Amino acid sequence: MSVSVALASVELRDPTFISDLHLARNQPRTLQRFMQLAEELAPRRGELVILGDLFEYWAGDEEAAQGIGAVVGGVLRSLTRAGAAVYVMHGNRDVLLGDGFGRGTGAVFLADPCRTILAGEATLLSHGDAYCTLDTAYQAYRRRVRSPLWQRVFLSAPLAIRRALIGELRHFSEAGKKTKAAQIMDVTPEAIQQALRYAGVHRMIHGHTHRPDRHRFTVDGQAAERWVLPDWDLDGERKRGGYLQVKGSELTVTNFG
Amino acid sequence: MPTVRLKTTMGPITLELDHEHAPRTVENFLSYVRSGHYNNTLFHRVINGFMIQGGGFEPGMRQKPTGKSIQNEAGNGLKNNKYTIAMARTSDPHSATAQFFINVADNDFLNFTARDAQNWGYCVFGRVTAGTEVVDKIKGVATMRYGMHQDVPDQEVVIETAEIESD
Repeated sequence: MSVSVALASVELRDPTFISDLHLARNQPRTLQRFMQLAEELAPRRGELVILGDLFEYWAGDEEAAQGIGAVVGGVLRSLTRAGAAVYVMHGNRDVLLGDGFGRGTGAVFLADPCRTILAGEATLLSHGDAYCTLDTAYQAYRRRVRSPLWQRVFLSAPLAIRRALIGELRHFSEAGKKTKAAQIMDVTPEAIQQALRYAGVHRMIHGHTHRPDRHRFTVDGQAAERWVLPDWDLDGERKRGGYLQVKGSELTVTNFG
Repeated sequence: MPTVRLKTTMGPITLELDHEHAPRTVENFLSYVRSGHYNNTLFHRVINGFMIQGGGFEPGMRQKPTGKSIQNEAGNGLKNNKYTIAMARTSDPHSATAQFFINVADNDFLNFTARDAQNWGYCVFGRVTAGTEVVDKIKGVATMRYGMHQDVPDQEVVIETAEIESD
């Protein structure tokens, strides 16, 4: 990957979880809400944990020098300047976020999945796209774009070419969504179960599917749950967004829009 | 009194090491200098009004491996006064390895008062004899949180080389 270190486990004292903001140009209200959240969080000096797809696309760390990359980078940097931590997991859209972005903002990368403890309970954090196992075409694509060799080759192309290629990929992705059955675009329960079993954990928090909910089920007879984070869009017709925090011994989601 | 010169991205700092009062600490520090350990490390923890700490991480906050920890020689009469250099450590009094810090104030609370975990203090083993203005520049840099690390300079302050000037 374009990062040298990604944490497989992380200690969190006062976390706020978000994902799937898909920030790009021309989203003033969504961006504004994100800045507002950062302002609220800064004095708490806790952790902002971003579980993937912060950006709509990321063609390489040159994006940090201009446009939305620079603006969001500035927000994250002001958070770390204030003493809060920023942890970022790669999504499927911003899989190319690299060390340049991390060092410039103070953001530290998390591996997917990443393990943590919330309110005394071991919890797995993930973007979520790894568990859409019925979407075999997507999984093949995912393996490719996460391979270090592919990334090295891709990043060696000029920025303009990379952006054009990504533009095409997004076009195919959007077109594909119209024809794919809804169920293969969601996570498969077996894949989630396997992940929890393997990690020895009974709770997961993830994003990606844009289907926020709290799902309760069992793994080998034991109660388990997964929390799905809401995606954000405060500029379109269907306003949505939110974040997850720990209040005492409970996880709570705050929705806005 | 051996002297060591740090060449940093913000200027040079000359350290005079007190071999008489902290022999093992000075020997330990010099061995890291000789092996080149301090070359290309950061001042990674900077707190204005308190101290600047370095010698443990490469650019990118990659931790460098170190040697064995050393016995704490605080209680040698040397105090954590402004511009002295002392060994950094964890809460275990005898856990210092390579990281050090330069005091930018008279930090009395870091001084040895008793030979137990709470009071052993931090071992001072030398002082800055040239480049105090560089120390003053470093202490004032803007800092950020980087994951678990607080007070990380957001523009990296690198110790390019550390060399023994005189034995």
